Amino acid sequence: MGTLLQQTVNALSLGGVYALLALGLATVFSIVRLINFAHGEVMTIAGYGIWWALLLALPAPVAILAGVAVAVGAALAMERIAFRPMRGADVTTLLITSFAVSEIIKVLFQNGISARPVPIVLPAWLTSTIDLGAVRIGMISVVSIAAVVLALGAMALLLRRTPLGLAMRAAAEDFAVVRLMGIKANHVVALAFAISGALAGIAAVLWVAQRGSVDPLMGATPVLKAFIATVLGGLGSLGGAVLGGFVVGAVEVFLQGFLPEAALPYREAISLSIIIGLLVLRPDGLWPAANVSRS
Amino acid sequence: MHQVTAPSPFQTVTDAILLAAAVALLMGAVALVFGLPGQRTATLFGVNLCAVLAFQVFSGNSGIVSFGHTAFMAIGAYLSAWLTMPASMLRVTLPNLPSWLGGHELPVLVALAAVFVLGLGAALFSGVPVARLNGASASIATLGILIIVYSVLSAARDLTGGNRAFYGVPRATGFGLAAAFACGFVLLARLYRDSRWGLMLRAARDNEPAARACGIDPVRLRLGAWVLSGGMGAVAGALYGHMLGAFTPRDFQFDLAFGLVAMMIVGGMGTVTGAAGGVALIMALQEGLQRLETGFTLGPLQVPQVFGLPILGTSLVILLVLLLRPQGLFGDRELTLPARLRTRQAVGTEGMSRPAGGTRSLRLDAVTKAFAGLTALRNVSADIPPGRVTGLIGPNGAGKSTLVNAITGQLPLSSGQVTFGTERLDRLAPQDVARTGIARTFQNIRLFERLSTEENVTVAALAQGVPLSRARDRAAQELDHVGLAGMAERRAGSLPYGARRRLEIARALATDPAFLLLDEPAAGMNPEETADLARRLRSLPAARGAGLLLIDHDLPFVMSLCGRVIVLNRGEVIADGTPEAVQRDPGVIEAYLGTRASRGPTARQEATPPPPTEEMTHAPT
Repeated sequence: MGTLLQQTVNALSLGGVYALLALGLATVFSIVRLINFAHGEVMTIAGYGIWWALLLALPAPVAILAGVAVAVGAALAMERIAFRPMRGADVTTLLITSFAVSEIIKVLFQNGISARPVPIVLPAWLTSTIDLGAVRIGMISVVSIAAVVLALGAMALLLRRTPLGLAMRAAAEDFAVVRLMGIKANHVVALAFAISGALAGIAAVLWVAQRGSVDPLMGATPVLKAFIATVLGGLGSLGGAVLGGFVVGAVEVFLQGFLPEAALPYREAISLSIIIGLLVLRPDGLWPAANVSRS
Repeated sequence: MHQVTAPSPFQTVTDAILLAAAVALLMGAVALVFGLPGQRTATLFGVNLCAVLAFQVFSGNSGIVSFGHTAFMAIGAYLSAWLTMPASMLRVTLPNLPSWLGGHELPVLVALAAVFVLGLGAALFSGVPVARLNGASASIATLGILIIVYSVLSAARDLTGGNRAFYGVPRATGFGLAAAFACGFVLLARLYRDSRWGLMLRAARDNEPAARACGIDPVRLRLGAWVLSGGMGAVAGALYGHMLGAFTPRDFQFDLAFGLVAMMIVGGMGTVTGAAGGVALIMALQEGLQRLETGFTLGPLQVPQVFGLPILGTSLVILLVLLLRPQGLFGDRELTLPARLRTRQAVGTEGMSRPAGGTRSLRLDAVTKAFAGLTALRNVSADIPPGRVTGLIGPNGAGKSTLVNAITGQLPLSSGQVTFGTERLDRLAPQDVARTGIARTFQNIRLFERLSTEENVTVAALAQGVPLSRARDRAAQELDHVGLAGMAERRAGSLPYGARRRLEIARALATDPAFLLLDEPAAGMNPEETADLARRLRSLPAARGAGLLLIDHDLPFVMSLCGRVIVLNRGEVIADGTPEAVQRDPGVIEAYLGTRASRGPTARQEATPPPPTEEMTHAPT
């Protein structure tokens, strides 16, 4: 019972990070049809932002804010420099563009900072544990879950209660409508990238807090999982992305916890196979995006 | 008197041989001019080309970028290594490998045959999710497959040595073997591209709804391409392994996939020529940049060491190419013989006589389609007879296109039934509806934009099971009938508006339909074009024995063609009868004519503004 609770907390905190990343990917995809391979690099940039702020001896909360701000800036810059010239290109072209951008940024990190991990020391209370009788829960997991809940709640409010958020949801279903509403397309696209950057920044903070270091490839693995989460949820569906993130996280954590020793090295393969199996059953995802196509 | 011609069936074969010869020539030249290092480069080129072509067979024809083919390469490399290594060597490098699996010292060619078969099998197993998902989701699934295979190979230490280098693999891939396989793969990929499967898959790539409406099943074709390319990938991987001599699973991870995809994209993944050109270009670029990686002096400038310079250069080239030539440097054109050396052969007009006269009628029973918050069709019932032109009219938003989509299986019904003869259509997928003999055109024209005009029509006949050479003949005749014979070799995407409309009709007719649904075929046409179209349509039922359902919101056009008109308004049938009766119907006048009667029969012009006419040729009369 105790381990089950512990595993559930772990699943929620890992799944939450995937959900944040997947939601950012889905927000951008639903509007510009871009599967952003460079999203992992946005996350990595946030990590380096925190590292740099801490080097300047800024207090931890400021460093964390700086990291998120750097991620927003990086996402906006990417959109302006690399993706805007490609606006309207087909999905494949956009995907390869972001792939190339991702490779370029990685090379820049390796040369400009270091190919090896740089350490990040966060306040001790973050890495402490809470004892609940027999169960021991990491403070970082609790903070992660709280942060994810706050971020997702803020996103929901933004999308449902503000005019720009409504415009974004409309754009996700039919971009032409936004123009008819008299809202500048560039603003909506930029907002989508800003949101995805902020979510990646928050995910980076949580990731870095658990890992204690940043390296040029830091974002690659979690974002890969987030890709799979967005597809599992239903590409272009915001709710689906969040759901997919939690499912991917849960499958991973529970396999890690309950697989027999001998099968552990294969857990990655098993969890991905389960997810791809789910996709065979539901090719449009667990929570498909709604869009009506006219012929 | 003019003669109808179709491309010679041998043209693809001669073009394929031409390209293979060019590849062989390039490899030979590099090996001769640069000596031993040149030979090594040429060998690497051959192996890379094999790998890129494995990617291209799937990605180029389906339009889905794969990252997963290096997984098949890894499988192929390990299997071939086990099969060809001597048992004594394997005992040292992989002491726990089951003895039946390795140490047989098989000749490389035998091992490659086994690798090919295993590659096909692995691809068949993994292909179901990739084929079922669409576009971008499928790309991500290929990434998933790559990670699965990578993590299994890394974890299965007994079989692979895990992340330690697996050494002692016979270095069997020399210049000769690489050149032979490169040429063989070029032939295979080139012939597949222009085969019936390749053509149909490319049609689905360009426009999936239109492909389905012709009777093409994209999922099966994607699976077929995935399986073939999986076999090719495994062989390419085995060649790569025998070139390296020692490797780990990591050698087949993203970095390799990125490099190969880059080669394919830069040259242009739609063509085999592009893939080959891309390999040559990117290899030349990387070869050059590798020399500069450790730093260099440029005049007075000392450029420091830049780690990863080849990757940086490749990425920048990709971005430039995508920005300036999204279809790749070589575009959509394969290397082919110059026009004057190509032969087209005459097509006889006999063989065009078809079994005349469908006898099946199309029956709608209480067809209802509800979207969230909107009932687009409510209890629509009608019996549409064969061998005649029936009109379906109604103001904008009446549900006309929804009805067409409901009949052709694009939209599932909420309730009701559609039957054709004795066959229920409303539970069939669009491609299966098409195979019962129902063809359609689309309100907003849907062509296979990157295929040539004649390929657009050929592919529709192929989808009905007609053999390739007969399908080409039929396409030539259909194009001649609509006056497009002179544009047969142009890309459909470059045709002027009126020609696009006529091409779509020719494509629908090439499926030899028993019933043809035309969704606003005259939209955007000028009065002359409309009159010409009306004349052609009027003769269709008699000439082809096909029933015709003509959808439009332009009364005069429909009235002039149809003996019977069904009027739809707000999803309901409000009138059904002869044009005269319908025109007198008070309900129709109120719903439809009431808003238009004052403008009289010239309402056509404002229906859809005609585009700037760039029409150069008119149909010969």
